[in-house]
Amino acid sequence: MLEVSVMVEGIDATRLNDKATENATSNYSLNVSLSERDRSSEALVLSFSLELTSHPQAAKFKVTGSATLKGTKEEIKEGISAPDDNKPPPILLMIYERIYSTLYVLSGALKVPHPLPNLLKKSS
Amino acid sequence: MVQETGTDLYSGVLRFYTLNDVRRYLKELLERYQKDYDKSSNVIGSLLRTEGGKGMEVIMSKGWAKVGSMFVNVSDPDKGGMEVTFQLVTEMKPRISKTEEVLKTFDSVEQLPVEANSTYLLYLHAGVPERLVIDSTVPPPENFAFKGEFATVQ
Repeated sequence: MLEVSVMVEGIDATRLNDKATENATSNYSLNVSLSERDRSSEALVLSFSLELTSHPQAAKFKVTGSATLKGTKEEIKEGISAPDDNKPPPILLMIYERIYSTLYVLSGALKVPHPLPNLLKKSS
Repeated sequence: MVQETGTDLYSGVLRFYTLNDVRRYLKELLERYQKDYDKSSNVIGSLLRTEGGKGMEVIMSKGWAKVGSMFVNVSDPDKGGMEVTFQLVTEMKPRISKTEEVLKTFDSVEQLPVEANSTYLLYLHAGVPERLVIDSTVPPPENFAFKGEFATVQ
């Protein structure tokens, strides 16, 4: 079974609008970048960078870190492959799931809208 | 079941994508063997020191009896336990020496002319690295990279 561990290495959170409140509508766009840092026969280490920006502009978050996938070659491949063009690869969902509580607390501390818990790929 | 002492010894073939990964694996393997050896030999050493001057007799039990195809000790568990730990330590030594030797001379493997994009099959027998196959037919997987834009939704 695939084992995933996520390590947050950096967080940047900025409040961009004085008038923002926690209760406003929370539309966030998310720019994601994942890249291979290290690989062995039974593990893959990825660097990740997630940038969330709210619309209308109220806050910006940037989270960087690493995710380690441990499992068989097939399990790792499945973990990084998107099921279709409109869905994120499972590893991205896992990373977002693991850092979501941190984003929730930070957005509360900045008094800006909370990001929502699920991801949908933007059509290009 | 609880593991009292000893090392899990792997027998099989592992595929590595770089020689550096092979070296790193061997180094970690040796460190693990060394740690397990130190742990077990400290137990023996400490007993021999406590029972100063008595020599090997303090770890050699006379309580062994052959039952079926196995030796069983029911009358002298302390010495019996020490004796098997001693046997384990004795068996660990050549494994450590062999792994150490492989690692020490690994430079010469790294200097071999190797086709780009080769992978490496390491054969281990009872935890000892014995053979390395340089496989130019199976390339390492391509580096993974992903970029995308998403929206957060309920």
